[in-house]
Amino acid sequence: MATRVSVQNRVRGSGVHDGFLRHNGFYWAKIAGVISLIALLVYIGIDVKPRPSGGSWYGYTLGTIGALLILWLTMLGVRKRAMTSGRWSLKSWTSAHVYLGLSLIVIATLHTGFQFGWNIHTLAYVLMMIVILSGLFGITVYSVLPRSLSNNRNETTEPQMLEGLRAVDRQLHEAAQPVAQHYAELVRSSLEQDPFGGGLWSRLSGRYPRCATRLAKAEIRRETVHMPKLGDEPLERIDALLEKKEAMLARVRRHLRIRALLEIWLYIHVPMTFALIAALTAHIVSVFFYW
Amino acid sequence: MTFIVRTVSRTADGRVIIRPTLVDKETIGIGRDATNDIHLADLAVEPFHAAFTRLPGGRVLAQTVGGLGFAVDGRSTKRAEIDANRGAELRFGGHLLTLAMEDGVATISVERTDALSDATGEKDERTVFSLAGLLPGKRLGAWTFLILILAACLAWPVYSWATWHDVKTRPVGFHADKMWSSGPLSQAHRALENNCQSCHEKAFVSVEDNKCVACHIGIHDHADPKRQINAMAPPNFGKRVQNGFKSVFGVPTGQRCVDCHTEHQGAGPMPATAQAFCTDCHATLKSRVTDTKLADVSDFGTAHPQFRPAIVTDSSGAAPIFRRVSLDASPIQSNGLKFPHGTHLSATNGVARMAQTMKSEQGWDNALACKDCHKPTSDGVRFQPVEMERDCQMCHSLAFDRIGGTVRTLRHGQPAQVVADLRAYFRSTGPVRPISLGGVERRRPGNYAASQTSGNYASGLRNYGGGADAAISAVFTKGGACYDCHVVDRTGDANSAGWRVRPVVQPTRFLQKGWFNHEAHKTDKCETCHKAATSETNSPIMLPGITTCRECHGGESSRADVPSSCAMCHSYHIDASAPWRAKRDVSRAKGQGRFVVPAGYLKGAVR
Repeated sequence: MATRVSVQNRVRGSGVHDGFLRHNGFYWAKIAGVISLIALLVYIGIDVKPRPSGGSWYGYTLGTIGALLILWLTMLGVRKRAMTSGRWSLKSWTSAHVYLGLSLIVIATLHTGFQFGWNIHTLAYVLMMIVILSGLFGITVYSVLPRSLSNNRNETTEPQMLEGLRAVDRQLHEAAQPVAQHYAELVRSSLEQDPFGGGLWSRLSGRYPRCATRLAKAEIRRETVHMPKLGDEPLERIDALLEKKEAMLARVRRHLRIRALLEIWLYIHVPMTFALIAALTAHIVSVFFYW
Repeated sequence: MTFIVRTVSRTADGRVIIRPTLVDKETIGIGRDATNDIHLADLAVEPFHAAFTRLPGGRVLAQTVGGLGFAVDGRSTKRAEIDANRGAELRFGGHLLTLAMEDGVATISVERTDALSDATGEKDERTVFSLAGLLPGKRLGAWTFLILILAACLAWPVYSWATWHDVKTRPVGFHADKMWSSGPLSQAHRALENNCQSCHEKAFVSVEDNKCVACHIGIHDHADPKRQINAMAPPNFGKRVQNGFKSVFGVPTGQRCVDCHTEHQGAGPMPATAQAFCTDCHATLKSRVTDTKLADVSDFGTAHPQFRPAIVTDSSGAAPIFRRVSLDASPIQSNGLKFPHGTHLSATNGVARMAQTMKSEQGWDNALACKDCHKPTSDGVRFQPVEMERDCQMCHSLAFDRIGGTVRTLRHGQPAQVVADLRAYFRSTGPVRPISLGGVERRRPGNYAASQTSGNYASGLRNYGGGADAAISAVFTKGGACYDCHVVDRTGDANSAGWRVRPVVQPTRFLQKGWFNHEAHKTDKCETCHKAATSETNSPIMLPGITTCRECHGGESSRADVPSSCAMCHSYHIDASAPWRAKRDVSRAKGQGRFVVPAGYLKGAVR
């Protein structure tokens, strides 16, 4: 048994990739699980009078643990700016951050004694849950999306994607020079639309209902559908280029969508963490203020 | 030489390349078509967009050809006369044309200023793929939320406290420190909901007892406070942890009102004090307060001593003597009365026959029932004392004489009067004078019969008064009207011929420390608990023992039909009225929906 463990350790040490989630054989997951289980068992086991609440001895204990834990979890933001290895490596720290953060769901919920209301105390709890749930979302997208991100990119880099768009734009611009103003405007609308525009919702959903490229292509096709295909008509070339641009945009937008999903949670996670710390401060001060 | 067209372009590193072309025409065309003199490869420009015509005096006429306009010095137009000496900027789509006069020649420099497309414009490749431009920065959000919440949830409530903490009653409206409240106040304190300062007086100082007793002035200590401190069990682990937190934050750890009466636990009635608050001390009280007469109690269902009702042990003196005796000792009560319940409740004996006889008159059944003599008090909690005149006399008549149609009765409860009435009865009537006794003439010798009659009459007259004494004795001794129901002593005064009827004591409340409510149990028959039908004398106490109660009642956390904490029968601040919990249950049962504070409980009432 001991030999097997040491072999595993050696393999792990030899550089095989091992994400922060399964870091060190789920070491922190186990610790967080044990903490949660103990908290839960004690909650079930003890008979707090008149009813479980943050003001019971158990409530105080869990509250203290929870508050310190929240402050420590926040320190990841400081810690991640210094990358080290070893026992307290950033990966280990992140692993602890994730699992201890999840154990807060149990600790803080039991701390409340399930007493909720329209007050600062519940606000702190709600903010904490928003932070945890956004973090949970983050873990999920981090474990799922990078693969599809790289699949979608098809071995191109972001600058290459941008350059591709520029190239097709230049070709469109060139191809549209001889055509009538009416068609030139359609092409221009495609050129002038920001391929990265569309707002947050478009980013997250991948829907661009007013995509000028698609509209231009549709309009040109509608008007040229009866024309004979001669092969040297500028409109045919424009049509082909718009189709190429549309495919390119689709890929870029999938890329943007995945990146947005990978990033968006931090826009909730981080500000809400600070909101939580403010609410936590108000919660603690208020408890002792109106003892 | 009419126009010089200078085409300006820039290399990637910003270097400017100028290609001048000389156009010797009076009118030059501008457009996307390559045949134009000024060829603008710009999709916003028509193939033949406009024309510049040289006018005398260094003026140039710019005029649209295709119909689309252009901008001159920022204003869009379709036709403009421009003084080339003063110069002008013209915009065609993404191109900027600068018109100027150089050495008498109109010079037009042409430069594409707009990017070919949005993608070819300036894009920061590091941020364009991220959300950075779409959302306010994380740091900005973090600081905004931090400040907003601290201001709204900390600074504002503190301001509310600072503004209102010295008033008695706050005006109605929202006060920011309300958002600190951990929950609604109980029904009884609902009126204080708006006035945090009525309990929370000083900042960072916990609620003090004086805030409670300011209103609850009638509250007295459960026991001697010093003994109470001694009575407290050593804190368990949880309590030690809590005391640790308390002492760190400067909260007293002794006995305080709020130790039991926790507020902000919900808007309903304040919960009854939990069993644990009592058993903390009482479960092992004897080990700490060794001289206590109280037995250890930890749970009604499993560890509660037998009831010890206060019963009359001696009613012979001026005042009856009560003693609390355990029901396990089968106590005998000495209340001055003899009353066989069994005889009266029998369905087959003479009592039952009498009940049947008087059925229509008294509204009885075929035998007597408890309710025929025991009348509940108006609140239903217990029973009124039995009264001779109301509850006994219909059968147990005290009649002794009839004058005409009037029946004379002995006075109940007044032995001296009974004695006097009996003496008067025997004095006011004599033996009937024999008719053969004749007149007052001298009796002749030899008339023996007359002599005998006379002698008998004289003897009768002489002895008639002694009949009163015998009758009096008969009433007060075995078989007499008093004796059958009362304990009669031979210690009375001369007025009562030496007889003394012991005062009857009918306790209406046997359980002095606990509380029993008949009203709450009226769905049960009396016989379920009180074994009256088989009781042949009144002396054994017919109170049910704890075993009977435990058939339905168990401890607070038991599976009994009625889980009962201490508060159901006992009150910490005990007084003559029911415990709070019992009162609340009754008021709820009666649909009042609100806790009724007993009269005299709050400030200003007379106790």
